[in-house]
Amino acid sequence: MLFNQAIEIDESLNDDVMRLSLSGERVRYSLRLKPADVAAAKKSSGLKLPAKIGGTSIAAGQTILCLGPQEWLIVALPKSREKLAGTMAKLSADYICSAVEVSHRNLQFTVTGPGAARALNAACPLDLSVDAFPVGKGTRTIFEGAPIVLWRTAEHEFTVEVWRSFAPYLRDFLAKTAKDRHMA
Amino acid sequence: MMLIHCPYCEEKRPEIEFAYAGEAHIHRPVKDADDMTDEEWSHFMFLRDNKRGDHAERWWHANGCNMFFNAVRNTVTDKFLVTYKMGELPPKASASNAKLPAAKKTGGAK
Amino acid sequence: MSAFRKPGRGAVNTAVSVNFTFDGKKYTGVKGDTLASALIANGVHLMGRSFKYHRPRGPVGAGSEEPNALVVVDRGTGRESVNLRATSVEIFDGMVARSQNSFPNLKFDIGAFNNTFSLFFPAGFYNKTFMWPKSFWDKVYEPFIRNMAGLGPAPTAVDPDSYASSYGHCEVLIVGGGPAGIAAALQAAKSGERVILVDERVKIGGSLIDAPNCEIDGKPAADWLAAAVKTLGKAANVTVMNRTTAIGYYHDNFVALNQRLTDHIANPKDGAPREETHRIRAGKVILAQGAIERPLVFNGNDVPGVMLAGAGQTFLNRYGVAVGHEVAVFTSHDSAYQAAFDLADANIRIPVIIDVRDDIRADLRAEAERRGIDIAAGQVVSKTSGKLRITGLEIYDPQSGAKRTVKCDALLMSGGWTPSLHLWSHSKGGIKWDADMAAYVPDVANENAVCAGACNGDFGIAAALTGGNKAAGGRKSYSVTERDFGTGVTLDSLPNYIKDTKQKAFVDFQNDVTEKDIKLAVREGFKSIEHVKRYTTNGMATDQGKTSNLNALQIASKAVDKPVEKVGLTTFRPPYTPTTFAALIGHCEGKLFDVKRVTPIDPWARERGAVYEPVGNWMRARYFPQEGEDMHAAVRRECVATRESLGIFDASTLGKIEVVGPDAAKFMNLIYSNPWSSLKVGGCRYGLMLNEAGFIYDDGVVGRMAEDRFHVTTTTGGAPRVFRHMEDYLQTEFTDLDVWLTSATEQWSVIALNGPNARKLIEPFVDGIDLSPESFGHMQVRTGKICGVETRLFRVSFSGELGFEINVPSHFGRAVWETLFEAGQPYDITPYGTETMHVLRAEKGFIIVGQDTDGTVTPHDAGLSWAVSKKKKDFVGRRSLKRSDLVAQGRKQLVGLLPEDDSVLLEEGAQIVADPNQALPMTMLGHVTSSYYSDALGRPIAMALVADGFNLNDQTLYVPMPGKTHAVKVTGTAFYDPKGERLNVV
Repeated sequence: MLFNQAIEIDESLNDDVMRLSLSGERVRYSLRLKPADVAAAKKSSGLKLPAKIGGTSIAAGQTILCLGPQEWLIVALPKSREKLAGTMAKLSADYICSAVEVSHRNLQFTVTGPGAARALNAACPLDLSVDAFPVGKGTRTIFEGAPIVLWRTAEHEFTVEVWRSFAPYLRDFLAKTAKDRHMA
Repeated sequence: MMLIHCPYCEEKRPEIEFAYAGEAHIHRPVKDADDMTDEEWSHFMFLRDNKRGDHAERWWHANGCNMFFNAVRNTVTDKFLVTYKMGELPPKASASNAKLPAAKKTGGAK
Repeated sequence: MSAFRKPGRGAVNTAVSVNFTFDGKKYTGVKGDTLASALIANGVHLMGRSFKYHRPRGPVGAGSEEPNALVVVDRGTGRESVNLRATSVEIFDGMVARSQNSFPNLKFDIGAFNNTFSLFFPAGFYNKTFMWPKSFWDKVYEPFIRNMAGLGPAPTAVDPDSYASSYGHCEVLIVGGGPAGIAAALQAAKSGERVILVDERVKIGGSLIDAPNCEIDGKPAADWLAAAVKTLGKAANVTVMNRTTAIGYYHDNFVALNQRLTDHIANPKDGAPREETHRIRAGKVILAQGAIERPLVFNGNDVPGVMLAGAGQTFLNRYGVAVGHEVAVFTSHDSAYQAAFDLADANIRIPVIIDVRDDIRADLRAEAERRGIDIAAGQVVSKTSGKLRITGLEIYDPQSGAKRTVKCDALLMSGGWTPSLHLWSHSKGGIKWDADMAAYVPDVANENAVCAGACNGDFGIAAALTGGNKAAGGRKSYSVTERDFGTGVTLDSLPNYIKDTKQKAFVDFQNDVTEKDIKLAVREGFKSIEHVKRYTTNGMATDQGKTSNLNALQIASKAVDKPVEKVGLTTFRPPYTPTTFAALIGHCEGKLFDVKRVTPIDPWARERGAVYEPVGNWMRARYFPQEGEDMHAAVRRECVATRESLGIFDASTLGKIEVVGPDAAKFMNLIYSNPWSSLKVGGCRYGLMLNEAGFIYDDGVVGRMAEDRFHVTTTTGGAPRVFRHMEDYLQTEFTDLDVWLTSATEQWSVIALNGPNARKLIEPFVDGIDLSPESFGHMQVRTGKICGVETRLFRVSFSGELGFEINVPSHFGRAVWETLFEAGQPYDITPYGTETMHVLRAEKGFIIVGQDTDGTVTPHDAGLSWAVSKKKKDFVGRRSLKRSDLVAQGRKQLVGLLPEDDSVLLEEGAQIVADPNQALPMTMLGHVTSSYYSDALGRPIAMALVADGFNLNDQTLYVPMPGKTHAVKVTGTAFYDPKGERLNVV
């Protein structure tokens, strides 16, 4: 069956100041645990679950964000699909928890370049300076009309996850800021 | 747009991430609900203090950590005195928040 | 060079000419001019007509406080900007500007007859006159008021410009780029923190440009300013924003800035953003907005050529323009002398300074004398002459009664200064009355904010610089050589020998409020300043009384015989200056106006010409018209095809919530009215959700995927509130349950197949699921594969036909849809939209929450008592269902209606009565909630909420509709296949 994220990005608006790109297929899980089980579950699963809300663990091929109390979003490359499914099944068997696959719920964008923070701030109210939102911070927040999950992977590099039906809005918003910048 | 300190995220976040969720510390009767008169039930169901001054109320960090929490906000100055986790009572009066409302006796956490 | 241009003066570039037109006439200004300075340089003061009396008016001020000189700048269709202050509008080559509120032209205006009859237009005139008869309101009074009182005409075409908006953050935000703001910025810059300095004008400098006659740290003001601008420009942590107005100050140091990007450019790039709204969150706010000079309230103070002394000084020093050749000065404050001296030093004749005070500072006397300026101390202006421009004035000495006239072509006035507290007051900062200054000054801050310079009541350059530095945490003391700013007096009323009723002493120029209007309002019983404001309209014009509020307050205070501080001050509200609506909207226009959500299958529907309808934020295909079909034809075809063979429908928008945890069933029992413990894994159930008040809140099919896992569906529009409702109860009431909620709406694409051939179609594509009716009955769910893709396959039906809802991961949705659609051709598979879905469900009597219910409908009212558990001890809404008024007789209940005339389609929302011939007003029994033509039944059907409806079965009621009243028969709601036999197609 054809995997189709059904969204295009107008490359002509990308430049060295801000570049928007769509990530490919990802495997995603929403994981919830009871507070008392977190330490043991981390150990047995090998998942690097960040303890603090806003924390992330970013490794090659797999990012885990702590979005709420004992709530994690796991985003991985498709090659880990089987392994991750196994890990989730084992966690579900061993602990009182909730593991829900949401691979297709989200789309992922990366926003890079020295103008990335400014572009995101067109609609996101958070202070995205490196001091206030350092590399490795991630959170659920709002992008004008769209709820998003946002994390910073480098000074000039952000990843944005958004429910798939909100993706065109996010893209169009960022495109508008790029167009304004080109015209001004 | 206010900044609201989320007791779970432990940071101030912009108001548009939050949703107001009504007065706090209202006990939802369960066991005795059947024995209550309509009049008594209406006190839980419909009647609110609509207080002028320090008001204990609930907020939801909808576009954040997804948690409901409690806050005391002054409805005249529109300033938050304190926010605290669900299930907790308003912190006791201290020098910095001398005018907090007295905690109502409550069975539930809401 | 025009006669009024003073070469070598001002911060303009006289080498570059700028051509523009005003009211069709060509003029030439210079680069750096505003429209007002360019016109004054051309000898033109008459720039507008007043609001009520249509009196000729010229600029009173030289900045954004200007009440009179309102103009239109016309940049083509949709780009006519109205009510702009000529004193703020920068000219560009080819600019087309017009006066407003004048007909047929500025010099001869018909509306000015109001002026002749102004005796009949006292305070509250509109309230008193245009009261009755009521029928006159729409037809006579309102059009009259609108015609006469209108400001600039609102453009009717769509604004073609682009606008921007953004969030910004800084540690220090400084509002106002005068000496105080600049000193604050220089100090704050040292910290390395983020500093933003905003100024509404073209460049920062403020009074250092308007009144540059001083030395700072041994340097001329202009040199010091240039060095400061350079320093700030170099500091990486400082952002200086010109042409930027702080329009509003909100909670927690959230300040809205309006930045004008292209209005000053002759040929901006098409598509370039015109304005940007910056929403700034600042750690600390330093307000250095300066002060606004007050006019004197005297007879004839509104003739063009009469303006504030500081404005005359600004026109000279900033723009190199003399406001007249013979400029008289009338003041109650020392500062006006500075203006007089600056003008005199530029070889402008100052025939006289009229000062209401008897005692004049010796140094000012001496300096006046040195320049040959006559001082009339202890005297006042009793009237002015000239209609379209001042030609002279009469000086009156109240002590001797002597009068004399002086010729002049401009008159500068000063009644003292009002610190600008606008933003400070937006932030709810406290204010206190300073009797010496006769003005309110900042008191206790409500935010982390501080005022510096003139807006703090600290006048003069030295005070501004030191105050600004201190506000930013510095301790520097500046050495400044300047004229002492001085003091003044305020008189609530100037003496005059002319009777009050014969005087025209304006307080609010834009709204034509005079001194006697305010006194009249007080006499008529309006004692609160807020009431006086609304009754007289003082301060309610587009300038919000920047120049008039304090004068009005003084007059009212005298009239009510109370000290000013007891009378209070009217409330300052954002925006500080009039702001383009589009700038407030920013990016959120056109396709960014709101989110339009579409499903993965949407592109397919779009390619087939589907017609859409919005459902919440979703855009859903409503029907798929074929060549020549209207909606009714398309829907009838889609209904027939589905009932006879096979329809395919995109149900992906249904809300989905995964409820997981060992206590999942317990939670479901509490949050839904039906029982869940008995539901086996692999089973589905219609779930009915109530709110705590016992009313229907949402519904949807729920499948049990495992002992500890439910797949919950919600209505399309209800998903967000259902999620919140569930989280609320889970987190705050049912806190001991081990269960979690995960929104999965967009994880799954949902393809609904309905019709007798549904099973036949999917059979070849399904793996791992036994589709036989014996194994996979109605209201069951299975997991397996379809078209090679993981699926949660529900056997459910919202149409009454054999139905499946195929859930597949979203990004496979379109491919699976297309595969099934291709394979369905032998069955004439027909895509249908929400309209057909609605018809099919109505034929079965299935409700749509929010259409057939309205938040006051109980399960019993909707005929859904079967979905309410009698056994459960608790669920949300349970106790309320027993409330006396929810079990009362005669409640509105959901019934079916069959129109007697089967060619009639009832209107949804139409009212229902028992007797169409009863007297008006009729007793209305309820209303039609759903109405469709049903092909399956060969007749129109409807559902309705009707009082005591369950007891009216078979009775005839009436539905009055435009043109005719229709008789209807009350029935049950299961119109079609009431026994549900069609579900059992093999």
